[in-house]
Amino acid sequence: MMQMIEKTKLQKNAGRVLSFIKNYLVLVSIVSLVMITIIVEPKFLTQPNLINIIRQFGPLAFFSLGMTFVIICGFIDLSIPGIISLVVIVTYSLIEPLGQYAAIAAGILVGIIAGYINSRLIISCGALTNAEALFITFGMSTVYGAIALIIAAGKTGHLSWIEKDTSAFSFIAQGGFGDFLSFSFLLFILCLVILYIFQSKTFLGNTIFLTGGNKTAARLSGINTFKSIQTVFIISGLMSAIGAVVLLSRITTASPVVGRNYDTNAILAVVVGGTRLTGGQGSVLRTVLGVLLITLMSNCLDLLGVSPFMQTMLRGLILVIVIWIDYRNQGGKQ
Amino acid sequence: MNIQNNLKIASRLIIKQKTIIAVVIILVVMIFTGSGFYTTFNIMELLKSAAVLEILAFGVTLTIICGGTDLSIGSSMCLSGIVAIILMDIIPMWLAILAGIASGAAVGFINGFFVVHQKTEPFIITLGTGILIKGLCQQLTDAKPISPSNTSFVTISNGLVFGVVPNIIIVTIVLMVIFYCILRFTSFGRNCYAIGGDYGVAKYSGIDVIRIKWLTFVFSGLTAAIGGIMLSLLLNTGSSIYGDNTPLLVFCSAVVGGTSFAGGIGGIPQTAIGILLFSLLDNSMNSLLISPYVQMLTKGIVIVLIIWFDCYARKRKREAV
Repeated sequence: MMQMIEKTKLQKNAGRVLSFIKNYLVLVSIVSLVMITIIVEPKFLTQPNLINIIRQFGPLAFFSLGMTFVIICGFIDLSIPGIISLVVIVTYSLIEPLGQYAAIAAGILVGIIAGYINSRLIISCGALTNAEALFITFGMSTVYGAIALIIAAGKTGHLSWIEKDTSAFSFIAQGGFGDFLSFSFLLFILCLVILYIFQSKTFLGNTIFLTGGNKTAARLSGINTFKSIQTVFIISGLMSAIGAVVLLSRITTASPVVGRNYDTNAILAVVVGGTRLTGGQGSVLRTVLGVLLITLMSNCLDLLGVSPFMQTMLRGLILVIVIWIDYRNQGGKQ
Repeated sequence: MNIQNNLKIASRLIIKQKTIIAVVIILVVMIFTGSGFYTTFNIMELLKSAAVLEILAFGVTLTIICGGTDLSIGSSMCLSGIVAIILMDIIPMWLAILAGIASGAAVGFINGFFVVHQKTEPFIITLGTGILIKGLCQQLTDAKPISPSNTSFVTISNGLVFGVVPNIIIVTIVLMVIFYCILRFTSFGRNCYAIGGDYGVAKYSGIDVIRIKWLTFVFSGLTAAIGGIMLSLLLNTGSSIYGDNTPLLVFCSAVVGGTSFAGGIGGIPQTAIGILLFSLLDNSMNSLLISPYVQMLTKGIVIVLIIWFDCYARKRKREAV
């Protein structure tokens, strides 16, 4: 009798552990990755490396935060490479005539406007499915990227070539309190808190989830779906712009093709974090975990001395496995 | 009243055949510019530049019609060329080329396993396999371009038929006819349309949905490999940087041509016209000496406009019902 009770208890606990692992697959993979690295290469825990990780936790985190809302709303925004390049070029070329602060403000405004244009295009033609929005934003990415190339005349600029004051950019890149609380990290935390409150506590934030879950049902129950679509694309444009300014400060080079490949990386970070591409569920906190996994992965693999080509392979492999297991679990539930 | 009716019919026709109209407009405009557009050499170059993308697009059209997406074609394209060139040192050239094509089919098979058998999201899983294979290509070549040891390799695609037409165009046309027949006249092709139209209905009417959808992924991997080998043949090099932007461009062209992304609508001729439109835009703007950045802008605007009109027409239809 006692044995049986103990057995069921054990099973219960095991079941609980299993379901925890299933729900927080990213967390488990992050922890196991860190453990393996610590055992093989104790250098991982030294202060310079930890600072390094926080520094690497840069622009991609901003882009992914914006992308999260678009994906929750049931769309995909492929326009962020174009927006990033455009914002970087606009900011860089406006430092001379307007001064640095006005240039940063103008860059962020450009991002918001780009997001607004995307949303207007999508709403006006009634693109309700993922694929339609995907191709409109892909086309717009080409348009923004081309405008960036035309403004820059295809040339790459450098912050140190500008004769005016560029201290704000070096502050964004290096300033902050102490080694760990760098300015860009604090900015990221600020964005995260604001977006989390927006997502969980405001009405507009909730309508985004409902719109993503079922657009027709949301519209028929009186939710202004157009407004939520508009909001997600503006947030995505805004976060791309902020990320682009951080990116410009960090690499101090203004290249008109700098945004390339950030779209797929941001989508991967969001999806690996556990936000479903079908829309209607997800969270910015999950995205942070996804970005953390991708950042830690490159750091750990660097420490372990894996060649960059092998790293690309492993990145693809781990992503496929994580997504596969995630979908298997979800499929089992349904 | 009559005029109004005629206008309505005309506008419907324009919306339906917008890609063909765009192609015709470009062709007519090019008559009057007096540039070197209408020369045999230029027309052959135009078709040659379109050929690789056309080959890729034929397989992808099957996947799209069946309701799937395959973003790994860019990487399969690199892999096939690299595999063929590396193996050429060990085994005869024709076997090496076959091995390259088989590698693409294998990638398609793996994609099909994840997407169709395990029912994951095609968009994200093929993105993942694409990254994986790109890494494999970099590992195989050390991220350097490699060239084949066999000199007859390059003559396969650059050789001329009748003294004018390059072999690659013949290959493209043959593949086009084959895929057109597959989609049009085989039960496999008809079932693809049924599955793309409604997966559930197709399943309950007794179609083996998993096998057929899986096969479409194998086909898209296969054509990606053929396209990749053709590209390596043209340039006489295999490199891991091919195809970075190709998947989205190919998909866009297919959609612009009139293949619906929701699945169930479309065909090989439509896709071919879509790809031709973009190659034509590239070529005509080049012969007008327009700067490459403005070309990129024009291409982006064309993509957005055509897809916008497509969606808008569908929205009007929805509201009318």
